[in-house]
Amino acid sequence: MNPSIPPSTAEYGGDEVSAIVLDPGFSTTRAGFAGEDTPKSLIPTYYGKYTSEGQERLIFSDDVFVTPRPGLSVHNPMGRDGIVENWDMAEKVWEYSFTSRLTGPRPGNPFQNGLNDIADGELPTEMEGVETEEKPLADSPLLMSECGWNPAKAREKTMEIAMEKWGTPAFYLARNGVLAAFASGKASALVVDVGASNISVTPVHDGMILKRGVQHSPLGGDYISSQIRALLKTNTPQPITITPHYLISSKTAVDAGQPSQAKYKTFPPEKAPDASYRTLLEERTLSEFKECVVQVWPGPNKLSATGPNGISNEEVAKSNPGRPFEFPDGYNQVFGLDRYRVVESLFDAKAAIPDPESPFPSPTQAQTVPELIKNALNGVDVDIRPHLLANVVVTGASSLLHGFTDRLNQELMQTYPGPRVRISAPGNTAERKFGSWIGGSILASLGTFHQMWISKKEYEEHGPTIVEKRCK
Amino acid sequence: MAAADVRDMLDLPAEGQPRPHKKQKVVEKRPEGITRELYALLGERAPPIAINENRYKGRPKWMSKLRVRPWRMAPFTNEARSDGLVLRHWQRQGDTAKPALEGPETEGEEQKQDEDAPQTPDQEYLFAKYNVKARVPRRYTDEEYNRHLKSDDWSRQETDYLMDLVEEYDLRWVVIADRYDFQPHPVDAETNSSALVPANQVRTMEHMKARYYFVAASMLALEHPPSEMSEAEFDLHEKMMKFEPERERARKELAALQLERTADAVREEGVLLEELKRITANEQNFIAERRELYSRLEVPISVGNTTMYQSSQGLSQLLQTLLQADKSKKRRSILGPEGAAPSPAAQTPAPNANARDSRGETPSNAPAAPTNKKAAAAAAANKEAQQNIRTLTPSEEARYGVQHHDRLAPGVQFRSDRAQKLTQAKSNVQTQKLAAALAELEVPLRLVMPTERVCKEFEKLIHSVNLLLDARKVAEKVESEIRVLEAAKQERERKAKEAKEKEKPEVKTEQDDNPAPTADVATESTGAASAALHSAEGQAETAGGTENKEVEAGSGDTGEATARESTSQKRSASVLSNTSDKSTKRQKK
Repeated sequence: MNPSIPPSTAEYGGDEVSAIVLDPGFSTTRAGFAGEDTPKSLIPTYYGKYTSEGQERLIFSDDVFVTPRPGLSVHNPMGRDGIVENWDMAEKVWEYSFTSRLTGPRPGNPFQNGLNDIADGELPTEMEGVETEEKPLADSPLLMSECGWNPAKAREKTMEIAMEKWGTPAFYLARNGVLAAFASGKASALVVDVGASNISVTPVHDGMILKRGVQHSPLGGDYISSQIRALLKTNTPQPITITPHYLISSKTAVDAGQPSQAKYKTFPPEKAPDASYRTLLEERTLSEFKECVVQVWPGPNKLSATGPNGISNEEVAKSNPGRPFEFPDGYNQVFGLDRYRVVESLFDAKAAIPDPESPFPSPTQAQTVPELIKNALNGVDVDIRPHLLANVVVTGASSLLHGFTDRLNQELMQTYPGPRVRISAPGNTAERKFGSWIGGSILASLGTFHQMWISKKEYEEHGPTIVEKRCK
Repeated sequence: MAAADVRDMLDLPAEGQPRPHKKQKVVEKRPEGITRELYALLGERAPPIAINENRYKGRPKWMSKLRVRPWRMAPFTNEARSDGLVLRHWQRQGDTAKPALEGPETEGEEQKQDEDAPQTPDQEYLFAKYNVKARVPRRYTDEEYNRHLKSDDWSRQETDYLMDLVEEYDLRWVVIADRYDFQPHPVDAETNSSALVPANQVRTMEHMKARYYFVAASMLALEHPPSEMSEAEFDLHEKMMKFEPERERARKELAALQLERTADAVREEGVLLEELKRITANEQNFIAERRELYSRLEVPISVGNTTMYQSSQGLSQLLQTLLQADKSKKRRSILGPEGAAPSPAAQTPAPNANARDSRGETPSNAPAAPTNKKAAAAAAANKEAQQNIRTLTPSEEARYGVQHHDRLAPGVQFRSDRAQKLTQAKSNVQTQKLAAALAELEVPLRLVMPTERVCKEFEKLIHSVNLLLDARKVAEKVESEIRVLEAAKQERERKAKEAKEKEKPEVKTEQDDNPAPTADVATESTGAASAALHSAEGQAETAGGTENKEVEAGSGDTGEATARESTSQKRSASVLSNTSDKSTKRQKK
């Protein structure tokens, strides 16, 4: 075999070393074994914190949603820009993501579990060896993903955690844009990742991101939620308030548009959970709303524009049958044009629904998806632009909005009428949601990748700065 | 009594189609999992539901004979790494050398290797060989740098930085240009940050490429001087030395412009491209058709003498021989190679008759005399049929291309051939002259579109050209005669003068007699010659007219007229020459 020829496509170049792939996001953290097709462990990155019996306790995973404990507050270790803010908690959440489902709890130190109590005066002999055994990732290489604009400090910190806290024998930090491109089988692509907190556009060339082309804007899924909130506030028959399920004890069916008839649960102030808990649960309802109702105007042209036959696009959208949605308190309504309006600002900043209370400032045109792509392309060499346009990879759970890829395609065709525009967006929901995790799973199970790991030995030799050198 | 017998008796044709076969009883197999009694109740037509047990698809039988091969988690090292990281993967036991994906081994070997160490050092990791690095030039030394590579634009540090990047990113220029972030004197900048920071030049990819190629080419040249380079190396060297950053930049600007065309521009380009495609396709088609036509025209040129096939007799002979050849071939193929050659006497009559029959059937061979009665009857029938046919008016005839021929040459021929035959004169010289005349008139030797009319006009043209040539010949002849005569006259006059000077009275009578008629003749002949020339010119003009296909109806007439004229002139010229001959004879006397 000629070593300069890569393995043919039919040839399976995999060699699984039971590596763990960890893809932390703002909304969820995905973890699983490399070589599998979906992450085994999918937990929300949010964690709950409450005090009980004077002790601070933490809740991870889906348990956060379940019980409205008194004083339970919900936090996220990640910042809105996708960079970790609270490293201690991030470490804990991440660790939970793989220890809960993948590696299992480690057996405790046999010297301390009470079974092997030693007589006083006898010193424990192999303490050091035992200590390494305790670390949760002692025999699994770890591949982690990060956003394309992660600063060097954060990368080094991540590496430090992986090496020193988790004791992984080998580590690699890959950009999630690159991984998403790998997941769709491309080494060069323009990755459009629509996440919960961010939309990012990452040009990838030969498996490496082009840093000058990386663009991101905060118009992610949470922004859409805020738009929906704004819409519900200004709803025409009456403003709609979202009451999460935990506050409702019973409800009766009402006709569309009629006020809800539900019995509510009330919590005395000392027993009530924090407001952040309610926000989180409201967010769940909103994501249901996004899945069921919200639709992107498929184009061509903006929603506010006029179609070729003189009918404005809004009229056309209005004539489409509406979609009903029932809120947890039983209130239900059919959403017509409004369901297009809430996402229109992803493409047309002027169409944003104004809401002074929203934590998101009203978007600028430069933050919209077409502009991001345009800027990303302008940041890379002109020779590869057509190639990137022919390999646009759409990933991220928020890209599952109905009609999103159609609209994106229309916008790109309008901006770049010359070159061939081709969007590759997997139709499979799981592949779209876990795009970058799947790419990591592919990458970490490749035989040729095993030379790229940063081993413990190398880390000890060079320190955490090696991550900048190796994970390019 | 069978149906066949009845048919036989009633003289009916044999059965058109075979009788349907007896219905075969389809015995469906009773599927498993259903009792015979129950199955019998289903009747003949089983309902279209699958009756089968719910069970897993079994493994094929041969698989159960195989022994399960044990796998185990085995540590391995990767030679592409320098740190000797030990990772663990599943490996088939006793098959440590080869990865699982390669073919199975014999069992004996497996057992032997069972107790092997997990990985002996000589076993290379399968994927280590894919660790390929791009070839970058050797790093320069200080001396080399100072002597050959110094540049005003690039500092030594920056060059080093560039070379590092190139090596790190394996010459992926897109990535290199993206990551290029050279900080000049990082230490200085930290110590006196308030000091003037040197303007950080923006290096474009072209700058970097130009610098790198220069360095690489120089290093290559240092290693092997260009005269000793191998061809590949020399090519590389040339390429690198000839890199023009300006041009590359201009190209990229153009590429960016091209990328940012408006929709209208793209549409227009598409339309134009479509148009171009259409035009070229049309042209191709036209050329192909034309070539085909020419090839068809060129095919009939045969080297052999075809005159023997021009007569009907010759043709029938040809047919005979062909048939004979055909038949003998057939016979041979039936009889096999050793088949006895049939006697010619037995064979000849049959093809003869055949030939005659076939000839009778083909209407184009009208001249063949209808020898037998059948043919005569057919001819009579034809005649009758012809009476029923309505006659066409001349305009209709012209429209349908119906032509009447006084005499048809046997066989098929091309009109263009006939027209071409005209251009072949008896002598080679004459043919050349004809060709020259046609060339002067810009009439192609082979007609482009040999329709009936064009052929006729061509015929006329050739005829007049021939006449013209004749006339010219005569004119030349006459002119030369005139010259001879004039020369003779002068000679004579001179002689006469001399004689006069010697003996004036004696010759006088003779002198009075002669000069007048000769002069007369001379003027006459010159007049005739000039007339001939004029007519020839006129002819040429009319010829030009035919070439342009603006043939007036009268041109033929004028041609004829000129022809008549020229013949008369010819006659007169010959008469004149006769007379002049006489006169010269007389003079000699």
